[in-house]
Order: sequence, then structure tokens, then C-alpha cells
Amino acid sequence: MEQNNPSRIARVLKWRPNLRLIGGRVRSWVMWRPSIKLSGNLALITGITMGVLAAVVQAYFGVQPPAGEGICAISHPADLVNWFVDKIAGTNYVTHDVFVTVPVLTSVGFILGSFVAAVRNKEFKFRSGPVRDNMLAFILGFLIINVGLLWGSCPIRTAILASYGMWLAVLILGMIVLGVVAACLYIKWKVRRAS
Amino acid sequence: MLASWKIGLATLVIGAIVGYLGQRSRFCTISGIRDFFLVKDSYRLKGLIGIVIGGVLGFALVNKFGGSLEYFSNPGGWEFMPMLRNGLDVAPAILVPISAIGAFLMAYFSVMAEGCPFRQHVMAGEGRSSGIIYIIGLVAGVVFYDIAIMPYLQTLTVAA
Repeated sequence: MEQNNPSRIARVLKWRPNLRLIGGRVRSWVMWRPSIKLSGNLALITGITMGVLAAVVQAYFGVQPPAGEGICAISHPADLVNWFVDKIAGTNYVTHDVFVTVPVLTSVGFILGSFVAAVRNKEFKFRSGPVRDNMLAFILGFLIINVGLLWGSCPIRTAILASYGMWLAVLILGMIVLGVVAACLYIKWKVRRAS
Repeated sequence: MLASWKIGLATLVIGAIVGYLGQRSRFCTISGIRDFFLVKDSYRLKGLIGIVIGGVLGFALVNKFGGSLEYFSNPGGWEFMPMLRNGLDVAPAILVPISAIGAFLMAYFSVMAEGCPFRQHVMAGEGRSSGIIYIIGLVAGVVFYDIAIMPYLQTLTVAA
């Protein structure tokens, strides 16, 4: 039997702790320092930067009222389009007061910043997707701005307003979560049905 | 009062910084919630949580260091989430369900578009064709909203 093997028992009796190994482990515990992995938290860092920059651009550059207007991917493109249409066609579409005289260029900045990042990191390439059908992408863009303007903010500005304590924004954030969950359940159901 | 061009330039610079970071981090609010719900991946969801953290910190810091913000009620002191005091103060009240339905549908369609409006801008900058066409649809949508929906919404809110 392996258990009664005398050589094994002798080996156990002869066992001595490997002090070098234990010392190394103790030293590594003592010397442990928390390490923050930037790559794993880049989205978090981006989010925090957005929140802080939104406050800065409102407070020191006058991008207000309304509150929380610092960064938005729904109302800012709408204000930019309205500014151009007003200038070209002489109309008087609703634009936030602060952007009546000057075009808001946040959305241009989004595209420009992303373009620079993609070129610098050799990721820029004209390619299709993620929505397979371009017509569907057009329709979705068309629909999303129309329903988004009913609330008047993108999820980023909604989160900024929620962080200022706006109850309606908290409610809307809840509705956004519900909308995403409903879409996910629909996709799951569609996949299950297809299989 | 800042010169108008400075406001425009500030929005361009802030947009570019955020766009750069958004491209590097693959930040997306809608995909964050979707990924967490479908595969329990919290990487992008942390971005949405980060906005809330950054917003609270940003408001408090700006308030402390003398910046002028809306609802700036305690100059020079530490203040967090000042709008909590106001309650659900929306006038007219009809705007609450309209906004809620709008947000729900925006989120629903954004899942179908595989990204929030910000992410679509970033994808357009990366050279993704659907992102570019999405932005064109967005521009057309704004004009449609101004012509068809806005007047109706204005009469609805005035009547309420």
C-alpha cells in the first residue's frame, strides 16, 4: 500500500520547511502595494473625466443654462444642426440660449478626437458595421434623435444630471436601464426562436 | 461674460478630449448596461458609474473653487448633489411621462444600433460606415423633429 510505504513515511519525517520559500512569500506580502491597472479601468477613468470636464466647461466656459449641459450627444448635435439651419434657411428653431450666437462643437469634437485616437493607434479604417444594413443605421439614427429629444439628453448627460441630484434624471436613468433590458430580452427571444 | 467663440472652442476641445478617451476605452453607456445584463461584464458599466462619480466630484470641486454653476447655492463650501432638495419639480407634469417614454425608446433603439449616441460619434470617427450613416440619419432626424414633433409638443405643453 502506498500509504504504508516506509520510504514515504521517512520522507514525511525528514520534511523541513523551506525557509527561503516562506521568507520570500512573507516578504512579498509585506512589500505588497495595490496596483491600479489602467487598461482594466479605462472606461471608469473616461467616465470620471467626463463628469469632471462637464462641470468645468459649464462653470468656467459658460456652457449653461440649462444645468448639466457640459457634454451631450443628443442636444448638442441638435443645437448644431438647428444653428446651421437657422443661418442658412433663416428659420427660428429652438436652440439653447447659450448656443444661439455660436455653434456648439461638442459632437464635431467627439468625431475629431476619436479620429485622432484611431489614426494614432493605427485603428482607423473605413469598414462596414456594426449595424449590417446601412439603411437600418440611418433609420435608427433618425429615430433615436427624435425619441431622445423628447427627453432632451443622451445617457451621458442624464447621468451627469443624476449626479447633481436631479430626481427626474434618476427616473430617466431607470427608464434607460429598462429600455436596454427590454431590447436584450427581445434579442434573446429572437435568438431562441431562430434556434 | 465669455466671448461666444471661446464657448464654441471650449466645446470643441472638451469634445475632442472625451472623443479620444472614448475611442481608447470603448466607452458606451448603453453597451455597459447591455453587457452587464447579458454576460455580467462590468467593464463598460463602470464608465456610466464613473460619470456619476465624476459629476458629483466635479460639481463639488467647482463649487469649492468658485466656479459659477446652475444651482450654485453654497459658494465656497463643499456641496454634493444640490438638486436633490428640489424634488421631482417638473412643470408641466406631462413632460415626465413623455421624457420617460422617450428615454425608454432611445435605450431600446440604441441597443439595436449597437451603441449609445456618443459611441456612434466615436465609431464614425473610427471610419465605421454605419456610424457615419447613423450621424446622417441623426441630422435628418433633427430637422424632422423641428418640423413635425416640436410644434405639436409645444401645443401639448402649453395646453397642459
